[in-house]
Amino acid sequence: MRYKAYIPYLFLLPTLLGLVLFSLGPTVASFLLSFTEWRGTVLPQFIGLGNYRELLSSRIFWQVLRNTLAYVAIYTPATVAVGLGLALLVNQKLKYIAFFRGIYYLPAITSMVAVALVWNWIFASRYGLINYILRTLGSSRPPNWLADRDTALYVLVIVSVWKSAGLPMMVFLAGLQGIPKNLYEAARVDGATRWHQFWYVTLPMLTPITFFVLIVTLFDAFRTFEVTFVMTQGGPLNASTTLPYYIYQNAFEFFRYGFSSAAAYLLLLVALIITFINFRFRSRWVHTNN
Amino acid sequence: MRSQSDIYVPHRHTKQPIKLVLQYALLAIVAFLMAFPFLWMVLTTFKTSGNIFRLPPSLIPDKLFGEDPFGNYRLLFSDYNFLRYALNTFVVATLAALGQIITCSLAAFAFARLTFKGSRVIFGLLLATLVLPIEVTIVPEYLIALLVYEPALQAIGLRWIDSLAPLIVPSFFVGATGTFLLREFFSTIPRDLEEAAVIDGASVFAIYRRIFLPLATPALITLFLLAFITNWNDLLRAVLYIKSPNLRTLPIGLALFQDEYATQWDLLLAGSVVTILPLIIVYIFMQKYIVEGIATTGIK
Amino acid sequence: MKQLVVAMVILGGLVSAQSSVDYLGSWSLNEAEAELIEVCERQLDITVNYTPFSGSGVADLMTELRGLATARRLPDVFWMSSGFVDEFAADGLLYNLQPLVDRDVMPEAESWNTGAFDAARTPNKTTGDMHAFPVYFVETIMYYNKDMFDEAGLDYPTATWTWDDFLSAAQALTKDDNDDGLIDQYGYYGFGRYAHVESWVYQNGGELLNAARDSFEPNEQAIEAINFMNALINEHQVAPQPAEMAGLDNPFHAGLAAMWIDGSWAMNGNRDIEGLNFGISAIPRGPSWQEDIAYGWSDMVAVSATSDDPEAAWDLVQCLAGPERTVARSGTSSIPIWRAIANSEAWLEPDQLPDNKAFLLEWADNAGPNSFTPGWGEWRGYVGGAGLQGQLDEAFNGNQTVEEALAAATDVANTVLARFYR
Repeated sequence: MRYKAYIPYLFLLPTLLGLVLFSLGPTVASFLLSFTEWRGTVLPQFIGLGNYRELLSSRIFWQVLRNTLAYVAIYTPATVAVGLGLALLVNQKLKYIAFFRGIYYLPAITSMVAVALVWNWIFASRYGLINYILRTLGSSRPPNWLADRDTALYVLVIVSVWKSAGLPMMVFLAGLQGIPKNLYEAARVDGATRWHQFWYVTLPMLTPITFFVLIVTLFDAFRTFEVTFVMTQGGPLNASTTLPYYIYQNAFEFFRYGFSSAAAYLLLLVALIITFINFRFRSRWVHTNN
Repeated sequence: MRSQSDIYVPHRHTKQPIKLVLQYALLAIVAFLMAFPFLWMVLTTFKTSGNIFRLPPSLIPDKLFGEDPFGNYRLLFSDYNFLRYALNTFVVATLAALGQIITCSLAAFAFARLTFKGSRVIFGLLLATLVLPIEVTIVPEYLIALLVYEPALQAIGLRWIDSLAPLIVPSFFVGATGTFLLREFFSTIPRDLEEAAVIDGASVFAIYRRIFLPLATPALITLFLLAFITNWNDLLRAVLYIKSPNLRTLPIGLALFQDEYATQWDLLLAGSVVTILPLIIVYIFMQKYIVEGIATTGIK
Repeated sequence: MKQLVVAMVILGGLVSAQSSVDYLGSWSLNEAEAELIEVCERQLDITVNYTPFSGSGVADLMTELRGLATARRLPDVFWMSSGFVDEFAADGLLYNLQPLVDRDVMPEAESWNTGAFDAARTPNKTTGDMHAFPVYFVETIMYYNKDMFDEAGLDYPTATWTWDDFLSAAQALTKDDNDDGLIDQYGYYGFGRYAHVESWVYQNGGELLNAARDSFEPNEQAIEAINFMNALINEHQVAPQPAEMAGLDNPFHAGLAAMWIDGSWAMNGNRDIEGLNFGISAIPRGPSWQEDIAYGWSDMVAVSATSDDPEAAWDLVQCLAGPERTVARSGTSSIPIWRAIANSEAWLEPDQLPDNKAFLLEWADNAGPNSFTPGWGEWRGYVGGAGLQGQLDEAFNGNQTVEEALAAATDVANTVLARFYR
């Protein structure tokens, strides 16, 4: 394609305008605020690296960071895998398949606040559904899922995967629908089994989509908030607090805007490093037409 | 080039009844797991409040046999103005999602197919906006709105605060997820398609408009849905910017059933069901096009 | 120049003789607020620019107020929570109402529930100046399930109950219906929440803070009360460990606990539970009890320190809290500060549960201290972080001792308090 040098920027104009008008100001402001102590009532006070120093020397922060990394490490692959599995399930030409697609996407559009009531009941210690089943099966002391420091975070992962797998499913489905059929026919002519077709045609053709899903899910993991907020509020004793919730808490409950901004920029740093690594290795496994 | 018959439909050749039964059984089991919390929630809206927390949990929607089974649902519309909230939410979600389709597809095309200075930096910045939690940026954003946008717009007789605009305009312009999604879709489109068009003398915009957009229809609709749902559920901005009761959105309506002191579970649950139903309808309506999109847009 | 300004002011006065007051609502108000404002506008001959509030809790309101404060756009009159009045006053954002209260309210003090005024005093809760004006008072009380008492053949709790009376009733009310080793009905339910713990602490003459209120130093009586709560759970087993009830919205509502201490705001929630026949009573007296102390605080309105017309704003404040805030304009779960309304049949609701709602008013006359400080939300908090609530819950769950919990909480609380009082 041949075009004048300014043409690409015309395509980017709305995005750039939006970034400057709506993102730049708040982003820069919160970055500057991360070097201040500010409760929002009186003007911010510059304290240099004070917030960062406090964060890095805080036991709670390191605990929260560990929780975050554990959460990200489990949630991300699980969500991508479940999303792909669901997409393969509903990519069949069957009657009423649209109905099943709708059902599988249901969690993604359900309001977490209300459905948390049900999830809390499923995982409730004494009067919960799961423990009722476990007790019927003979377990005398089933776990206190939500109230146990060893399990609370994993309960949040399970509920989050349930809640979020719909989007990857939909994106994978769109990707699956876009794979030209002649590729499969060629493979079949070559005597490939269904498993081979999946491994050598479907997966490679899905890699750009998979890359997108992986990155978006990763970002999602680094932003997880709602499920924590409605189910454990980070408890017990911060055992299920992840960075986004910690940031929320410090900003909206403790009103430490400067401190929470500093935590947010540390989160950004961690997320960018992981994202950068992913982009670095993108060409190793992502199949494109370039 | 591509046509209906080219679309890969797996398992089309298998029509044995046993296999079919197994397929449906698997679909149904997964469907049950995915839908159970939601179904239980719907069931709960038909229980009397004394029964919501009864143990062991009751499967019987006792309200259905009572005098006023839809009482809570009726209350939402008679006492709590949910119709108005739904209308506002619909306006917000639709406009924001339409904006995303336009902005994101334009930007994604540039990132996927055009070379220009700063491409990586701008894309990186865009992605960074995805990670920075809105909880940190919302307070500065609100301050800028109070100090800059509101006075500026008031000078020309418009409003920013206490209008739907701050819920629509920012997401209209910036969509990092959407740009990223479309960039990945565009990058799967074979080069030879656009090369043919270049030989025909098509402009860059024409290539975007006539080749990339039609081919990406499923992705565009996916994005529309995604943006629609995100904006449909957005609470944080709404709480800060919306003041007038007649501008409230559904998430505000739901949040009002929950305050520091008490939660009105029966109304909250019924309200949630009401909030989700339009999304289900939009989804069912649109998912058809996601699937058919590719099939109907063969390039001649 | 000076003349010009004077002329403009006079001209401005001629154009609008009426004062205009900006008023920001709160999450707890309903549509009837607009109606109340119309009444106030007529009575006071002022114009009120009312902005309703769309958030759903104290945190939302405080976020909004902080944004407005930074932008120098605080409205003349706005709602203020007891938990934040100290911080906002210390930062110079609130108009000192004490002279106006002394002039206009104290001469007819008997019309108002002045016991609720202390929550508005700052920095000292008994001698400080009022920097806000209460509209409602809320307090904690003991709820009990009458049917469970009847079934156990017990007398209902009285206002003079001691901890021993409470314990023996709780023991009689705790039962394992099917002998499976799992208790099916507990005598009591409570956890590390402020409304639960502080209620016991104050009825034992305890204090969580030092006299200067700048340090978390629970005294012996307070520790005695916390140990008593712990014993109810882990020694006498008449109350469940909080973890056992995790995931359940409210064990008292679910019929799993016969007694429960929480705020008067929980009244309507109790009424919504069909078949829950409940009464209210005083918090039982501890061994170190000296006098009845109700743990309570006020929902208040404040006047901005930067208000152009504090007198007009003050007029509106009195109207918002006064006789025009009828039951229809306020609801029935908090106690109106205007006594005539609190004493009216419409508020006392004789045909509703509990049949002794007037007890709320008696108990409110014992209004005592509270534990609010700047940073309270962080060290005490509503949620189970690493503050006092989270630490106590882990003690009640048997995962650490009360001593360990208090040591950890002291650490957290005093780090927070040091930020405000260094």
